[in-house]
Amino acid sequence: MLVFLARRIAGALAALLAASILIFAAVELLPGSPASAVLGRDATPAAVKVLTHRMQLDRPASARYLDWLKRFVHGDLGDSAVALAQGEQHAPIWHLISGPLKNSAILAAISALLMIPLSLGLGALAAVRAGKPTDHAISIGSLVAISLPEFVTGSLLVAIFFVGLHWLPPVAIVPPGADPLGSPKQLILPVTTLLFASLASGIRMVRAGTYEVLQTEFVQTARLNGLAERRVILRYALRNALAPSVQVLAQNLQYLVGGVIVVEAVFAYPGIGSQLVLAVQNRDVTVVQSVAMLIAVVYVTINLVADLTVMLLVPKLREPV
Amino acid sequence: MTDDRRTISRSTFLKGAGGSIAALGLGPFADNALAATRPKRGGQLRVGYVGGGTAETINPYLAVTPIDEGRVQSIFDPLVLLNADLSLSPGLALEWLPNKTATEYEVKLRHDVTFHNGKPFGAADVIHSIHLMAGKTSAALPFVSNINVRDLKAVNKTTVRIPLKRPDGNLMANFVYYNTWIAQKGEKNFAHPIGTGPFKFQSFTPGQQSVFVRNPDYWGHGGPYVDSLKIVSISDPTARLNALLSGQIDAMAQLDYAQAKAHQRIGDIKVLVAHAPQVLMFYIDTTKPPFNDNRVRLAMKLIADRPTLIKDAISGFGTVGNDIVGKGLPFYDDSIPQRTQDIDRAKSLLKAAGHQGLKVTLQTSDIVPGFVASATLLAQQAKAAGVTIHLQQVPASSYFNPSLKYLKMLFAETQWPPSSLKFFYLQALAANAPYNETHWHSKSFNGLLFKAIGEKNHAKAQAYWNHIQKIQWEQGGYLSWTNADFVDALSKKIRGLKPSSAGILGNHRFQDAWLS
Repeated sequence: MLVFLARRIAGALAALLAASILIFAAVELLPGSPASAVLGRDATPAAVKVLTHRMQLDRPASARYLDWLKRFVHGDLGDSAVALAQGEQHAPIWHLISGPLKNSAILAAISALLMIPLSLGLGALAAVRAGKPTDHAISIGSLVAISLPEFVTGSLLVAIFFVGLHWLPPVAIVPPGADPLGSPKQLILPVTTLLFASLASGIRMVRAGTYEVLQTEFVQTARLNGLAERRVILRYALRNALAPSVQVLAQNLQYLVGGVIVVEAVFAYPGIGSQLVLAVQNRDVTVVQSVAMLIAVVYVTINLVADLTVMLLVPKLREPV
Repeated sequence: MTDDRRTISRSTFLKGAGGSIAALGLGPFADNALAATRPKRGGQLRVGYVGGGTAETINPYLAVTPIDEGRVQSIFDPLVLLNADLSLSPGLALEWLPNKTATEYEVKLRHDVTFHNGKPFGAADVIHSIHLMAGKTSAALPFVSNINVRDLKAVNKTTVRIPLKRPDGNLMANFVYYNTWIAQKGEKNFAHPIGTGPFKFQSFTPGQQSVFVRNPDYWGHGGPYVDSLKIVSISDPTARLNALLSGQIDAMAQLDYAQAKAHQRIGDIKVLVAHAPQVLMFYIDTTKPPFNDNRVRLAMKLIADRPTLIKDAISGFGTVGNDIVGKGLPFYDDSIPQRTQDIDRAKSLLKAAGHQGLKVTLQTSDIVPGFVASATLLAQQAKAAGVTIHLQQVPASSYFNPSLKYLKMLFAETQWPPSSLKFFYLQALAANAPYNETHWHSKSFNGLLFKAIGEKNHAKAQAYWNHIQKIQWEQGGYLSWTNADFVDALSKKIRGLKPSSAGILGNHRFQDAWLS
């Protein structure tokens, strides 16, 4: 058990280390240099030289990488390159992104809270009604939803619920420092868009797992023993179908981390995704670097938690081989 | 955001021949019908702009994007006001008195203006602000580079002496642009900016929103009418429009051309259109073959069918360009005949130059709306003259980057919101110009340019400028096909905000706006 845990954590750290190298290298390999990329039309040789110095780009890449990583581990994300280029003395990235980060976390959390029971419920329902119209409706509906990119789903929802029906606001503007939950109506369309894009794989996995278990002998035995069908499904079938589904749900949670980027842009929601899109547009390389790394951390953490959850659900995995 | 220094939305300034505003408020809700109504007080005005993310600032001397511009113009005031027809009127400065040689100015300031914190405005504030403008990373640097900053002097509380390095007959033109607006003495980091403007600072979160409140003691006449002003960053164009349509904001900057057309038809919002001197151009390196032969340059200018380019590439939201820059600005030469398509003459010029069946590559990029479409159209139009134009798309990130592609291209596209003829020519065509796109090098031209800039007498200066523009029209490397309009949108309940050639959203004059 402990060995397993230690191995998993070591693996996660290795993955993060690899990610950090890739992210750092990607910025290094920008055409010209990061300083030139930040400056754009103002990238005169003199300006590039000044900013190169201010961003400490004149130091060797390996030293800068280690420095960046060390500070990241200590929670210091560095300064915004564009702000430095504009002449600000200090522009801590954390200060700029902490509010949006919280907003995104809230959006993702609401979506996740709805996604998990919906996946389980609809998946189990489809399995129980396998081959019947309910099953077909759920399967086809979820497949259609997942085949549409988020910006299409989002625009369609806006077209129906704002332009057509005037029920829901088409954008989710949250004032800085305000709680997005303070105006929950604004969150309905963004959350629905995220759910549309993420539910299908969970539903299908739960359906397949549950269906399989429902065919097994012990379920048949349970039924023959006169147990109520509800009890058979909840107590025996669904629980055993859960283990493989946890991985899929974890993948969906990871999707949410990336999916919010597009959805936030569509609905003008002030989250980390919007910030990342703008940072890319502004070529604010240090912000992109740090946000990308933060997202990597969230990704790997979700994966780790999912693995541990599976282990708890499937006792066999807990035993030493 | 640095590419946005000169993007389509950047406002422009200076007095002009006037009358350059024409297609005002094209929707069925033209303000004229309500001109007689008395403005109402109260409420909050909420305006959505394209955001600049972490690059947003409230410091006028760092500001580069339209949303920065909107904020700066709400809190601060300029020395010289730029009106909707590009004419000038006194702002914080009342008089500009040059010495004989136009190498030193005495500037008389208003003496009845107070800052938001109650302190009186005066010469020390102007001197401090010019010092900040001359800072190393200041965006205002080109406007003050001719000033001997160290020798600035307060003659008395409301008179400043400004010594220059070389003559400038029209110094006031330097102090219109929002990068040159006036802060208070002692201002350092603009954490809580104090200005003299129509709105007082309340809060600012970069990349999200800022809130300002009405300045009841504003020295300008009329407004402000609304109690508070909220400026919101919404970068996605559709989300910005949706926010306006759903009533979450009352005004939005930069409406997409196609959407502008559609909503002009529907009439559910007011589409605010103003002719503006922001110019879209093709440019040619005049030093490299085949374009070092002026006959070939001229042939390219004769190939372009400008009205079609405007209609198809920017949905008609522009006026025809004439290969010189600054339509509507002072000293722009309106007497030069409009160049039109003449395929036969283009063909014979090419034949004479020995370049029949010319093949060239045009480098374009999707960095500015209309670039790729206009390049594609020009390539089609060129076929009639036997010229083959190959298009090459360059990534937006390197198109205007001088350490990458920019200023190294033979034939490409550009966009300038000229603040004045003076600044365009100094930046693009003078000796040592930082953005010499056409690689224009001419000693005599340079001499003429500095004569024009240093001339105090308006008629004489105009004669120099006409000469300069004639040379560019005949020999230059610019094919300017349009002066693109400012296109914004307002909710129907907003009154008082009028289209302006000086900048987007009625040049951000939110002190004029009121809610019906």
